[in-house]
Amino acid sequence: MPELSAEPEALAGIAGGWIVVAEGIHKTFNRGHADREVRVLRGVDVSVAKGDVLVVIGPSGSGKSTLLRCINFLGPPDEGSVTFLGRTLTGAVPRFRPAERMRYERELRFFRTHIGIVFQHFNLFPHMTAADNVALGPTRALGLSRSQARERSVAELERVGMGEKANAYPSQLSGGQKQRVAIARALAMRPQLMLFDEATSALDPELIGGILEEMKRLAESGMTMIVVTHEMGFAREVGDRVVFMDEGRVVEEGPARSLIDNPQNERTQAFLSAILS
Amino acid sequence: MTFAYVFQWEIVSESAGALAHGLRLTLELSALAFALSLVLGLAVAVARLAPFRPLNVLAYVYTQVFRALSLYIYVLFIYFGIAAIFGINFGPFAAGVVALTLLNTAYMAEIYRAALLSIEPGQREAALALGLPHSRSFASVIFPQAFRTALPSLVNQLVDIVKDSSVVAVIGLLDLMGTTIDLVNNRHAPFELYTATAVTYVALILVLSALAALLERRLARHVSGGSAGGRVARLPRRRFADHPGGA
Repeated sequence: MPELSAEPEALAGIAGGWIVVAEGIHKTFNRGHADREVRVLRGVDVSVAKGDVLVVIGPSGSGKSTLLRCINFLGPPDEGSVTFLGRTLTGAVPRFRPAERMRYERELRFFRTHIGIVFQHFNLFPHMTAADNVALGPTRALGLSRSQARERSVAELERVGMGEKANAYPSQLSGGQKQRVAIARALAMRPQLMLFDEATSALDPELIGGILEEMKRLAESGMTMIVVTHEMGFAREVGDRVVFMDEGRVVEEGPARSLIDNPQNERTQAFLSAILS
Repeated sequence: MTFAYVFQWEIVSESAGALAHGLRLTLELSALAFALSLVLGLAVAVARLAPFRPLNVLAYVYTQVFRALSLYIYVLFIYFGIAAIFGINFGPFAAGVVALTLLNTAYMAEIYRAALLSIEPGQREAALALGLPHSRSFASVIFPQAFRTALPSLVNQLVDIVKDSSVVAVIGLLDLMGTTIDLVNNRHAPFELYTATAVTYVALILVLSALAALLERRLARHVSGGSAGGRVARLPRRRFADHPGGA
């Protein structure tokens, strides 16, 4: 795997190797309400090479989840751009120019159909069976026929060990099973990049290992991933690179093992010693 | 116990045909108004929540204004007022449908709005993250859940429509109430006839309520959180206070 620096200048020459490059990402909540403004991201640059696993760590409120939501534009950045598979998108929506708006929506759809996300709280559709949850994207966003989508859905469910629960509703599943279905739902889109937003944080302790195992298997199969997690063991073992974020900025970045075993920045040191003790 | 009054229950059975005809009209009127406001209410609720300010304001004004007045006023205004100014002559049935629809659209819009707002934002986000356009994420993910949540309240609204529809008697429509008033004036057996009509309304409402309860139980199963019934924002039920006893 290429050893790459995240300096934007250095990215231009080797754009081919990057699946995703986010540059200068700024995001403020409650913008325009001076007293309630929260600057969540203050100029973040991250990039992931094909097949790499980038693990994002940091205290809660440091902007990790917000960063993921900027990358698939669920919460578009206020400033900065995201380049995914060579296509660049910013948060500036051309609201009143219909032709450009259509083009923007098309690009947005390209990002979202090719970037999978797994949420902390699963966000399964409770009125659909597991199989229908997984088949929704392929039918409604990719235009597969119902039978093709059903076939793909069952295959993906089997891959995460949920084949027998294809006809179960989310309310009939445990947290770990729900998260497996959510992973299958994202994978059924055949994504080029997977985002994991604290995928194990809402699980009972005994169920965490299974999901981490699933994520590890996915990483080993060559999937490019950005993983927000508090599981340092996973970060160290499965991550290729680790980014430590604090107060909306990347404080330290480096190869997973060396950053976790031997952090250089004192805020990273403080965070890791608190979480590992 | 003895009454000075001599009961003439046979008048009720003699009037069964007319009452049945009135009941049919009540059911037709209610069903039509219910179906129309079910659709229009959703449209108003969507307008109220759309990311376009003028539309929000328009929908807000509609719901506020139309909930502010009683059905009695609408029926008279549409049947007599509109006819006088614009020369549009609604028949009493059409006037009744329009009045009931306008009012209940406003109420149903509020029910839909509460139900749509009760769907976790994560649902919409999960749908959008799969690359679904907004319209499809609404049609496949948001609306089916919101509708399940709203349905019991919507059916309760049907109960109100059935009761309120009796107001159309004031413009001479021979629905169940109108027929009864008519019969009372001719046969002079007010106790027997009003009792028969009241019993009919009660039976009708009980059946509808049982239906609503059944639906509620069936639909509560697979709604977010698994406790759909508890999540429904129950709106304060309006009361039609000044019901015209006769016209």
